[in-house]
Amino acid sequence: MSVTDETLAGLLRAANAGDGRAYARFLTAVTPALRSVVRARGRGLGAEAQEDVVQEVLLAIHLKRHTWQSDSPVKPWLYAVARYKVVDAFRRLGSGRVHLPIEDFAEALEGAPAPEPLAARDAARLLGQIDARSAEIVRAVHLEGEETAQVGARLAMTEGAVRVALHRAMKRLAALGRGNEG
Amino acid sequence: MKTEDLITRLATEAPATAPISGGRVVMAGLLAGLPALALLLALLGVRPDFMAAMAVPVTTLKMVLPAAIALLAGGAALRLMRPEGRVGLAGPALAGLALVALALVVWRLVVLSAPQIPVALMGRTAPQCLFLLLGLATGPFLAVFWGLRAGASTRPALTGGLAGLAAGGAAATLYALHCPEDDPLFFVFWYGGAILLSGLAGMVAGARGLRW
Repeated sequence: MSVTDETLAGLLRAANAGDGRAYARFLTAVTPALRSVVRARGRGLGAEAQEDVVQEVLLAIHLKRHTWQSDSPVKPWLYAVARYKVVDAFRRLGSGRVHLPIEDFAEALEGAPAPEPLAARDAARLLGQIDARSAEIVRAVHLEGEETAQVGARLAMTEGAVRVALHRAMKRLAALGRGNEG
Repeated sequence: MKTEDLITRLATEAPATAPISGGRVVMAGLLAGLPALALLLALLGVRPDFMAAMAVPVTTLKMVLPAAIALLAGGAALRLMRPEGRVGLAGPALAGLALVALALVVWRLVVLSAPQIPVALMGRTAPQCLFLLLGLATGPFLAVFWGLRAGASTRPALTGGLAGLAAGGAAATLYALHCPEDDPLFFVFWYGGAILLSGLAGMVAGARGLRW
């Protein structure tokens, strides 16, 4: 994910001159960094809403790409655009006040590992707060990748019952997760 | 829509773009100021004793201060057109100008006797000064504001406010060609008031109109 500024500058310069392929490469190169920042900062949002924010930032980059000065570095420009749009989106989505240091983007673009949406430690802590059977189902399906039918056979439940229990458990976990983010 | 699809779509709909140019914004502001300036000069004219008045150092401040405000605030507004732009030293410099203006007021309040103060403050043209000054500032402000919208300021209210200060400062500098009032108490209060009003209007406009 670590991309040099010169590479990005070359791509964006070509893009602003009308080169669509360079532009696609530029947007593709910056997307993982944007995504990791949005995920780290907007954990209460859910994957779909997070991806919407990422797309909003990409759209803003697109609409304002002419405000980059082609003889200056790309990254400060990119951080500023992304930060503005991310703060804006989070405020609108009501995920509370957002503190978003510019260093977040710097680190993400420099190739720091992207934080997992639900780190293992958090998962264990949250699973401890719901009933044992639901926790077992979540662990089996989402963390160990077991099939719902298999889990049902093991716990003497129908596959449908497992799915319902799983769905309810995920909703409760999400609520707990949001509460902790508070 | 998937993010990959969005990227593909953006990349296929991306014609070459012209970079934003601060010079063009300034040009638009100057051109927009011409009609009002021409009207001012044609109807009211330059004061007959202009050269004599400008021989007094304190009186030159009535042009120098607003011109400095226009340059500093305008320059900062243009820098803020870019997302990563900074106000920089223009902030402290503008504060310094405000202190100079304040010092002028204090000086006049000390040297003038109590009955002289209201006379100096109101002069003979106070309401006219305020209205003409704001009138002169409106055209350039609108043109500059329109230009700033093509940029991407991450501080919309501040950028609009600086544009307002710049338009007000430029208007005051030009109005001083005509204005016969030379007491610093008068020009700091009325010029300064008009410039601040213009800045305030710019701030309100920027908070709404410069978001993206």
